[in-house]
Amino acid sequence: MENELRRKARELLESGEVKVVIGYGWNRRRTFTTPIFVTRPDDTDRLIFNERCVNNLSVYLTRKYRDIQALGRPAIVAKGCDIRNIAVLISEGQVEREGVYIIGVVCRGVVYRQELWKGELRPEIMPVKCHNCDVRNPHIADAVVGEPSDFTPPEEPAGMVFDKIREVDAMEPAQRWAFWMEHFRRCIKCYACRQVCSLCYCERCITEKNMPQWIETSAHPRGNLAWNLIRAMHLTGRCTFCGECERACPVNIPLNVINQKMSLVVGEAFDYRSGYDPGEHPPMIVFRPDDREDFIK
Amino acid sequence: MRRSGRRFVAPVVDARQVVYREIDDASRVCLDYIVPRNSVKEFMFPQTETVATFSIAKGEVDLREVEPPAVETVVFGVRPCDAASIASMRSVFTWDFVDRYYTERQDRCLIVTVACTSGDDACFCTSVGLGPDAAEGSDVLLRETEGGDFTVEAVSERGEAFVSEFAGAFGEAGGVETRALFEPGRLEADTGKITEWLSRREHYDEPFWAEACRKCVGCGACTFSCPTCHCFDIIDEGTAFEGERRKNWDACQFDHFTLHASGHNPRDTQYKRWRNRFMCKFNYYPRKFSSRGCVGCGRCIRVCPVRLDITEVMEEVTAMAASQQ
Repeated sequence: MENELRRKARELLESGEVKVVIGYGWNRRRTFTTPIFVTRPDDTDRLIFNERCVNNLSVYLTRKYRDIQALGRPAIVAKGCDIRNIAVLISEGQVEREGVYIIGVVCRGVVYRQELWKGELRPEIMPVKCHNCDVRNPHIADAVVGEPSDFTPPEEPAGMVFDKIREVDAMEPAQRWAFWMEHFRRCIKCYACRQVCSLCYCERCITEKNMPQWIETSAHPRGNLAWNLIRAMHLTGRCTFCGECERACPVNIPLNVINQKMSLVVGEAFDYRSGYDPGEHPPMIVFRPDDREDFIK
Repeated sequence: MRRSGRRFVAPVVDARQVVYREIDDASRVCLDYIVPRNSVKEFMFPQTETVATFSIAKGEVDLREVEPPAVETVVFGVRPCDAASIASMRSVFTWDFVDRYYTERQDRCLIVTVACTSGDDACFCTSVGLGPDAAEGSDVLLRETEGGDFTVEAVSERGEAFVSEFAGAFGEAGGVETRALFEPGRLEADTGKITEWLSRREHYDEPFWAEACRKCVGCGACTFSCPTCHCFDIIDEGTAFEGERRKNWDACQFDHFTLHASGHNPRDTQYKRWRNRFMCKFNYYPRKFSSRGCVGCGRCIRVCPVRLDITEVMEEVTAMAASQQ
């Protein structure tokens, strides 16, 4: 699979069809996978793909990375879940479909955090998205690398995140408030959740607007609550559950629970799941006269 | 100890990880950890603190300074890397202006360090001139014994006073074997050579930087978990009529950190911001403050979502320095 991937990347760079291949490589000691940017055909042998390639590289397609955009048209190595993010970026006018060459990789699941890797991919160390994945065979791509997967996701989404959502839903409001405040209390405002998210592409985030200041930036409970809720609202109907925010959070805030809950709400209200059709706009940015309104209370 | 009116901080488990936290129940202390997720800096330089309050009415401005809280604190279970970072912090906060909010807190912090008997491949203290039982910055240094106890060594005057104050709590150590220390693998890096290479102007615009740091996503996780990163921002929060002036952590990795009011940003792409962080650690700190900018705790490596490993850059810069000699 890696050979196929490298061959494709080399071909694209040699022909000049792309100027950079955004993919995965090894770190110096070959102990971790890490994003790499290949611009020379002779460096394509550095590209790898395996169960540890957890990062969602679509973040590098956004305008936040001017130096990457300056390199020229990119190709990106993307798992199905990462392609869902690219689809949202296309539907929101951030990326043009022809502006990027998608090298889709067939994926059999990845490890939630690389430090959990002990040489074998076991269900316990996989993110919940992998257990429910319906895009193991990339759904939008210019080329697909790897043998097709015959994985069928369960009918009802399964895994810890969904169990937790049911648990939080069953709480009394005061209890639910306490649950979230206990988690948000730890937030250190490092904004890693925002920075690894390709759908948080604003060049000026609302939390950085200080004339006037929209939300308190201090890392006290009120400021932390404001930040986390604002991010959740801005991702509602857009989040693809790639899980990068929770993976990147250095203080283990269960961000998947918030964002996935919002996805369930949107799914129910609008029968919409993000990241499948780049031609369709997310429901929260369009208005239709026949929109249901019964969920507004 | 709390009966003596002191605040007690120790490593505890919180949300599936070990963190330094103020506690009032000694049974919560966790002893099985490499380094806590947060560093000791937050007990001397809190992430958010109010330095003044203000109110405005009918053209009158009432601005009142808030005194730094002077709480005697014992920080227990500190790792030697963290303890060594305190001198670095102090050198910044007393450089051209004495920041009382830092110094008064630090003067009241007693550091009880525990030498490291475990570590991981992100640890690199020995490559920055420290070690698993370095005493720099500590008041009391504990070493674990094979039997699960600790030997106690006072390494400062304050530490001696503390040990004699609580002499009743310690037994005789005589003849116990201390547990083997964890020695991190040595990097192929030389901080002296790195500083020298960084301080040469022509290396500032090496294409190396863009290639080595392009993957940085610009979060502040490395800086906020770093024990020597000290940047802060002063911000007024509240209503137009009253509120608080707060001193909050800031991070050079944020794109608006150097954004000028004109709209110009001298560090306009992420690799330039990451280069600044590296420069700060290995050039500005040692040359400007004569202190250590990096203590080798490895937190920045562990928290980085894209595994931008500072030790790899240290090795690459050392190799470039050697080849360009």
